[in-house]
Amino acid sequence: MKFFSFFLLILAFNIFGADEFSCGSIECDDFTVNISNNAELQSGLSTYMNYCYGCHSLQYSRYKRVAEDLDIPIDLYIENLIYDGSKPGELMKISLSKEDAINWLGAYPPDLTLEARVRKPEWIYTYLRSYYLDSSRPYGVNNLVYKNVSMPHVLEDLQTSLTEEDFDRVISDLTNFLVYVSDPSARERKQMGVYVLLFLLLFTSFAFLLYREYKKELK
Amino acid sequence: MVQPISPPNPGRRKFLSLITGFMASVGAVFLAIPFLSAFKPSARAEAAGAPVQVDISSLVPGQMKVVEWRGKPIFVVKMTENTVKLLSSNLDRLADPNGANSVQPDYVENQIRSRKQGVAVITGVCTHLGCSPKYYPETGSVAFDSDWQGGFFCPCHGSKFDMVGRVYAGVPAPTNMDVPPHYFPKDNILVIGLDGVS
Amino acid sequence: MLQWINSRFPITDLVERHLSKYPAPTNLNFWYLFGFLLIIVLVMQILTGLWLMMNYTNTAEEAFSSVEYIMRDVEYGWLLRYLHAAGASAFFVLIYLHMFRGMMYGSYQKPRELIWLGGWVTYVLLCAEGFTGYVLPWGQMSFWAAQVIISLLGSIPFIGEDLATWVRGDYLISGITLSRLFAFHVVLLPIMLIAVVFFHILALHEIGSNNPDGIDIKKHVDDDGVPLDSKPFYPYDITHDVYALGVFLIFFCAIVFFFPGGGGYILETVNFEPANPLSTPEHIVPSWYYTPYYAMLRAVDFSLFGLTAKFLGFVTMAAGIAIFAALPWLDRSPVKSIRYKGIYSKIFLAGFVVSFFVLGYLGLVPPTEIKNILAKVFTIIYFSYFLLMPIYTRLEKCKPVPERVPT
Repeated sequence: MKFFSFFLLILAFNIFGADEFSCGSIECDDFTVNISNNAELQSGLSTYMNYCYGCHSLQYSRYKRVAEDLDIPIDLYIENLIYDGSKPGELMKISLSKEDAINWLGAYPPDLTLEARVRKPEWIYTYLRSYYLDSSRPYGVNNLVYKNVSMPHVLEDLQTSLTEEDFDRVISDLTNFLVYVSDPSARERKQMGVYVLLFLLLFTSFAFLLYREYKKELK
Repeated sequence: MVQPISPPNPGRRKFLSLITGFMASVGAVFLAIPFLSAFKPSARAEAAGAPVQVDISSLVPGQMKVVEWRGKPIFVVKMTENTVKLLSSNLDRLADPNGANSVQPDYVENQIRSRKQGVAVITGVCTHLGCSPKYYPETGSVAFDSDWQGGFFCPCHGSKFDMVGRVYAGVPAPTNMDVPPHYFPKDNILVIGLDGVS
Repeated sequence: MLQWINSRFPITDLVERHLSKYPAPTNLNFWYLFGFLLIIVLVMQILTGLWLMMNYTNTAEEAFSSVEYIMRDVEYGWLLRYLHAAGASAFFVLIYLHMFRGMMYGSYQKPRELIWLGGWVTYVLLCAEGFTGYVLPWGQMSFWAAQVIISLLGSIPFIGEDLATWVRGDYLISGITLSRLFAFHVVLLPIMLIAVVFFHILALHEIGSNNPDGIDIKKHVDDDGVPLDSKPFYPYDITHDVYALGVFLIFFCAIVFFFPGGGGYILETVNFEPANPLSTPEHIVPSWYYTPYYAMLRAVDFSLFGLTAKFLGFVTMAAGIAIFAALPWLDRSPVKSIRYKGIYSKIFLAGFVVSFFVLGYLGLVPPTEIKNILAKVFTIIYFSYFLLMPIYTRLEKCKPVPERVPT
């Protein structure tokens, strides 16, 4: 009863405090994270390396780890996705210097390794699809999710050349890739978790039977 | 005080105690795995210890180059034709001429201890106490040997090795200097740290 | 062999007294399992903490990336870190349940005052552990939480600002502050924790456990002086504890392996951004286990007797934690357990529980006018449980406590 009334209270509070929109000036679009499909993650990686990596590093991640996790042959990977001659074991840092970035772009583009942990995946998905023309901004574009964003619409080519459906898929893959890279152990973790829980369930069942065996005597 | 009584079914109680105890021990062993694995070289250490690529085209015969791999000096020597000839003439003075007791990859089990005729690739660490031997390419009478055929001399305790790192008999070092995994992807390109195919 | 040791160090006697033959009351229920689980969690935190420490770098420049190094480059580093982070939350869940058990069954009452005080010191040390540990990843939340908490010291009249600067070792939160908090987190506080927990258990085993009925089982003993209403720890309690450990681990591992961030309650999303002294995140929220006290801090928004609201809020918050220590002397009831106490005790205890949860919720959400009033009301309810206790425990009519444990 006590707990029930507590939940009622929480409910009541939530009605008082109406939330603002979940994605800037709009509601976030539906997006379901899926990091189990390597083909999608590979496509996301390729979009990232071609369109984002020029400015946004993934400085906590290593080239080799990404190749191994996404099942990309290392030779192919070195040839096509390592541009600056880095060794595969190195961190994915970019050569853009802070001074240059501030001179050219006005701000230093943030590292995106952990972006999907800082922001919700549906935020990223919605944001990348919410650019609109706005002649008052330096690059002529603005964003519904991130007001007065300083990043130009780098995916404009793709958006104009692809069908809406295909473009959404590109963004979806990119978002999934960012989710993967923000916590690369997630797949291994969940697999392991299943075994751990099965083991614990079995162990606890025996421990319970043993406990009951002695408990009977106390009555 | 309540005390355990003998149960109606003692076998059941015994079985449950054993299986619970057994599973707890299995659990403890599994729990140890992450703690022990975390001691292995991390991805950063692996990256720092990654294979090293060396261009040896600039080496002239008789010259040695020291390359660092996993924090150890690797001696890369381009031998003169004369030195190569001498390799088979001093076998009776060597402790382990065929490298039977020494650390070296299977593919170098021959007298040149390398995958390329005329190039020696040796881990430059004395197998006695870990000093780094000095390079003495000259032949003839030297301070520590009256009939020196060229090779390495350890300043710490006087161990002697020939040009391809084989240890002389009667010195403190027990075995030849190690040969690291290596291969030549191209004629003058040496990769240290990988077993690849030459 | 054992004899040789025993004649020099009575190990058998020690094990029997504190473990295998420790006489536990026959009527202990599930509320008595949390102490055991707390010890397990303490050991786990020490082990995972030790391993994290081997790979962590305690400088402002490297701290954040060293945590990601642990998460990505160290084999199973992610597991060690998730265990440690979720372990901190588990620690507080369990200690709150453990404390509530004591309050419900009057375990703090004579002659267990020192056991209670030992437990209270453990709780205070744990709060300090939680705070110092929170700062170490050096993310945005780490930085700004440290900023807010240490600034609180600045509200102390006359010495405040100097004290805050002294604690920081700098004019702002910096790598210097990080280094000393790290030293506290990994050396000073754990040593104190282990010592106090050791005392807590030793004191308990000398006096004996209380029980849900609050009956003094030592009044009726057998020929050996062992209470009649007791059972040996082995096999009765150990089997119960192991079973409880299994259940606990199922919940705990489900979180560690499937929801390691705990929806932002175990690992705050804002903390995945490196500390930036030039930009404050939109919502600064402390860890969930401090939010009741954070709500009290915010509820006090008025000055009094020339003392600033900031200082009064700080005092209220500190008092909320400190007042637990006074419980043994506030309770004037002739009985221990809530089962035999009168209606007032039940109402006030229920009020305390509700206010604890409501304040906990209020501390998590951004303040509004209505929520501020609610926070004030529930802060008063929270404190009335303690401050009115000498009155209501004497006024109410208690039920008689049976001589022996009812079967």
